[in-house]
Amino acid sequence: MVEVVSDPRPIAAVLASAVAVVLIVASHRRPNIRESWSVLAAVTKFGLVASMLPGVLGGVVYEWRLGTFVAGVDFALRADPLGMLFALLASFLWIFTSFYATGYMRGLDEHAQTRFFAAFAASLSTAVGIAFAANLLTIFVFYELLSLVTYPLVAHNEDEEARIAGRKYVTYTFFGGGVFLLAGTVLVYWLTAGVGDPTLAFEAGGIGALAEAANAEPMYAQAAFFLLAAGFGVKAAVMPLHSWLADAMVAPTPVSGLLHAVAVVKSGAFGIARLILEVYGPDLAGDLGVNVPLAILAAFTLVAASIIAMRKDHLKRRLAYSTTAQLSYIVLGLSLLHPYAILGALFHIPAHAFGKLTLFFCAGSIHVETHTDYISEMAGIGKRMPLTMTAFTVGAAGMAGMPLVAGFVSKFYMLIGALRADWWIFALSLLVSGVLNIAYFWPVVYTAFFESEDRHDAKPLLEFPIGGIRESYFGSAPAVADGGTSEGEEEYEYAVDEYPSDHTVPDEDEGDGEHAVEPDHAAYGDHGHDHDHGEGHHGGPPAEGWQRHSPLTESTWLMLVPIVVIATGALVLGIVPDRAVFLELAGYVVEVVTGEVIL
Amino acid sequence: MLELLATHYAYALMFVLIAIGLYMIIANQNLVKKVIGVSLFQTAIFLFFISMAYVEGGSAPIVPADETPGELVVASPLPQVIVLTAIVVSIALTAVALSLVMRIYAEYGTLREDTLTEVRADE
Amino acid sequence: MSSVDLVPVLLIATPILAATLPIALGLRFDRVGWSIAALTTTGLFAATAFLATVVYGDGATVTHALGDFPQEYGIELVADELSTLIALLVTGVAAGVLAYTRTGGPRGNTFYTGYLLLTGGLLGLTMTGDVFNLFVFLEITGLGTYAMISSGDGPESAVAALKYLILGTVGASMYLLGVGFLFMATGTLNMAELATALPDVEGQGETLVRVAFAFVFVGFSIKVAQWPLHTWQPDAYQHAPDGVTPLIAALVSTVSAYAFGRVAFTVFGADFLATTPYASEVVVTVGSISVLAGSTLAVIQRKVKRMLAYSSVSQFGLIVAAYGLVTETGLVGAVVHLVGHGLTKAGLFAAVAVVSVSTGARTVDEYAGLAKRRPVAAMAMTVLLVSLVGIPPSVGFVGKWYIALGAVEAELWPVAAVIFLSTMLTLAYAARLLEKMYFTPAAPTERPVPPGAAATDGGSPVETDDPDRVTVGMIGLVVAAAVLVVALGFAGGTFYDLLEPFVEEVFN
Repeated sequence: MVEVVSDPRPIAAVLASAVAVVLIVASHRRPNIRESWSVLAAVTKFGLVASMLPGVLGGVVYEWRLGTFVAGVDFALRADPLGMLFALLASFLWIFTSFYATGYMRGLDEHAQTRFFAAFAASLSTAVGIAFAANLLTIFVFYELLSLVTYPLVAHNEDEEARIAGRKYVTYTFFGGGVFLLAGTVLVYWLTAGVGDPTLAFEAGGIGALAEAANAEPMYAQAAFFLLAAGFGVKAAVMPLHSWLADAMVAPTPVSGLLHAVAVVKSGAFGIARLILEVYGPDLAGDLGVNVPLAILAAFTLVAASIIAMRKDHLKRRLAYSTTAQLSYIVLGLSLLHPYAILGALFHIPAHAFGKLTLFFCAGSIHVETHTDYISEMAGIGKRMPLTMTAFTVGAAGMAGMPLVAGFVSKFYMLIGALRADWWIFALSLLVSGVLNIAYFWPVVYTAFFESEDRHDAKPLLEFPIGGIRESYFGSAPAVADGGTSEGEEEYEYAVDEYPSDHTVPDEDEGDGEHAVEPDHAAYGDHGHDHDHGEGHHGGPPAEGWQRHSPLTESTWLMLVPIVVIATGALVLGIVPDRAVFLELAGYVVEVVTGEVIL
Repeated sequence: MLELLATHYAYALMFVLIAIGLYMIIANQNLVKKVIGVSLFQTAIFLFFISMAYVEGGSAPIVPADETPGELVVASPLPQVIVLTAIVVSIALTAVALSLVMRIYAEYGTLREDTLTEVRADE
Repeated sequence: MSSVDLVPVLLIATPILAATLPIALGLRFDRVGWSIAALTTTGLFAATAFLATVVYGDGATVTHALGDFPQEYGIELVADELSTLIALLVTGVAAGVLAYTRTGGPRGNTFYTGYLLLTGGLLGLTMTGDVFNLFVFLEITGLGTYAMISSGDGPESAVAALKYLILGTVGASMYLLGVGFLFMATGTLNMAELATALPDVEGQGETLVRVAFAFVFVGFSIKVAQWPLHTWQPDAYQHAPDGVTPLIAALVSTVSAYAFGRVAFTVFGADFLATTPYASEVVVTVGSISVLAGSTLAVIQRKVKRMLAYSSVSQFGLIVAAYGLVTETGLVGAVVHLVGHGLTKAGLFAAVAVVSVSTGARTVDEYAGLAKRRPVAAMAMTVLLVSLVGIPPSVGFVGKWYIALGAVEAELWPVAAVIFLSTMLTLAYAARLLEKMYFTPAAPTERPVPPGAAATDGGSPVETDDPDRVTVGMIGLVVAAAVLVVALGFAGGTFYDLLEPFVEEVFN
């Protein structure tokens, strides 16, 4: 039924942006040409991936082998339905992110832009490599490379905070990749070698030899599963391996957006999908009973992360915890092993990507235009950035699983799956988390649209210590809980100049107030990335309040167009999911793996 | 055990020498004496080889032209050849070691390791 | 005797004879040493490549009995799948490092005498099929190394060389003692003869063989710098002239480790290791502890060269542990890692040399902002460090994969854990350097060299910020190492195929 065709397009799709890396570095003196390479590579990559789509949906698998990598394992890339799902998503979103990144980086006059764009292209290359990897070792190769090339993006700011975040990032991801994932891969190789020729190649429904070996050595098979799950789980930010993600938010917003909401974290979730669907297979995973611990962890993560997200005032950090929670939806859906839940989980990969990318784009746009990072300072910002905040609302609704937005479809399927599989507890956690999603996104929307600069209040449930605080929070309450809302008259005294965030960290070198115009200056404590609210960041509305802007003038088109496109995409996925190709692909994967035709 | 010691006392002595050599290398602060320790250590090993080749009642392994070799009782010649080679190597090593010691003395004005450590720490 | 049979002899004799030329011709010409060395090593590399085509192409083992003595008494030179690979590494690195020493390294004709002597010793060590001859070459290699280390300008290099000399000699002598016991048990010194004779040794002889193994192992532990006998190595690497460190770091310990593998597997045999109580356990334990201790010590070093030296301790720990696994894949992994680590370290130390020549930076802190000042060297160094960590595709990963697989096959879980964790440990010091190079702004003012700084760090007096001293050859060497390391990362299957005949013979 599945026809394997040898075709170089998978490797070409990987190499498209790898070549772009070279070109980007080569044209580092001419920013316009440099950025056009990014865009060109993105379009080429998407074109290559998309050109395989009809074939893949028609039952063809495109494969390209590069020869033996280590004894018994080929270095091979193949475009199968599951891989297409991820590759299509990443390459499609990259096109718009390239525009957005250009607008963002120029808007802030960031330093080291060449390195940034080069690393960005390289990470896309590896992400598509992960998508198309045909066996565990190939996926491991790209997985490690992805960690490597995203490190420069996380540590981009070159200040102490970014370095620490970078260290944490490297530690977590390489512990996941180099230790857990490699150990699991070696174990699988060894197990399959025990029953014949060793193999690591993915097979829809599970590797046959592994199933055989697992019967003989169930304990080692379980150990291998958990090692692999831990390896992918680090990138998927499943608790307790999640804490790198929030710290990685010091990266420029396009990075947080595409990589830490789409490519990097999704590569983890995607890896778990490969693991459950094509290494072990739902049947074997169920027999070994390994899915239940994973599901419990995921369910715990999605509730706990949502609760943490509620209390984060830094917008990007709130989004980061939201990502942690949303990724666990995917992991949970997959580990329920029911076809409906798997379908929901797979569809949640694009659904979350579109929604979360919108949210991050909005956060970045706000940062570029107004240097505001904290939700408590965003009162009335809807006036200043109407279109951005509208898009934000759409994205938030998607995250919360509101009907007509992408997130609803996926969560709906997962819920059905959980109920059909009689896992009422997981169904409950899905619902609870949905409510929590609203609880942490609604305040943002409310603050932006329904409050004004001089009249806004704290959100007692979210920002006060548990049990409340004996203080009036209307008017001029001076110091609320975690330094939260410095509101009212005080605000007027703070905001001083147009680029206030230059003064971020008082104890570091801040003499150079103009360094925003020196791209190569090693920006100390640049642009208000401090996460401790007490340190005196200076975002928020200017003294005279937000200026009212029309949707067309609120930002540059480089940033607005991507926001609108991605938000529209989220709506399309929600309103007519069967017209957008992702659901079809997901359904096809489920059909191949479990044999059940849902759509 | 005692009997083994009585018949193999040569080996035991060699190992005592080896131990003394090692002890000198480790415990002596004087660099020249360390080098002597190395030499002693190596020489003990050479002696070990020679004694190993000895055959009771055997003569030196020189075979006259008219004898049939099978009937002669001679010591094994191979270890002796080996030791000859090893002695050459050991001389070369000692020479290099002493030249290094001279250089160290010229630079630091001391041959004692502890003083050397102090001098280097000061710099 | 066909002409191929002569190649192993020529490989050893040519450099040793050529070593006299720089001195002899130096009487008349001023700077003739480099040319002679370059000519010789390039020729050696070509000859080894030719040998490789025969060995791998025809699947034949090339042996040469010196002076046509019968195997029992005479000395044999053997070029099989294993030794040819190492010989390729030796000649390749020896020829490559010359690209640096031409303008950067110690000058003078005597230096190149030592260089060629060392190369000859290493090749002899690689090719020999006789356990005593191995000792002689071990000492020749040692002599060459001591001379090379002490050719640094500062007095520290003499101290480091003497330290190495004393420990190295003890190590080689320990090995000789082991050989003595082997001879007592079997009456032969030829490796092939020993291999057939040893399994039949019984009774008291068995004790002799075990004692022999113990001495051989301790001797090589010193030479390979295994914890706790590694103390000579950081000093030697750090105080050796910048042009010398790439050579000795890449080759000396590597070939010693190869020699240990040769003796352990060809002479004693896999069966001996597997059946003798505690033999493989001790080897594995020493290796594993070296991995942990070496990386931990590497993390806390301030000087880059010293950090990389401790890194060698830990990487060789991996190799020794892989020997101790006594599995086919483990052995392949050890050999691949030997080659990979040799190349990586050659490139890394060459990069360090380039950096210190051009910017004077020697400590990790001084590497801050290096990526801006020397982008190419920094990039190459990044690639090499990444290979050291074992991130694919790189030869470092291939080695680690096979070693890890070997550990799993042997079901030695603690060892497997150490091997997997070694990634993180290596990352700890590699990432430290990377972060400094790329994400730490350079100190605002160039740090003035304090008086006496040249003496404390022992190397040649540092000329700061003189980019002209970096030649295309130096950069080329570093970049070539980086490219090779990545390219070999795709050769995992090829390595296995090349080594398979040898490994199968060992394990049958």
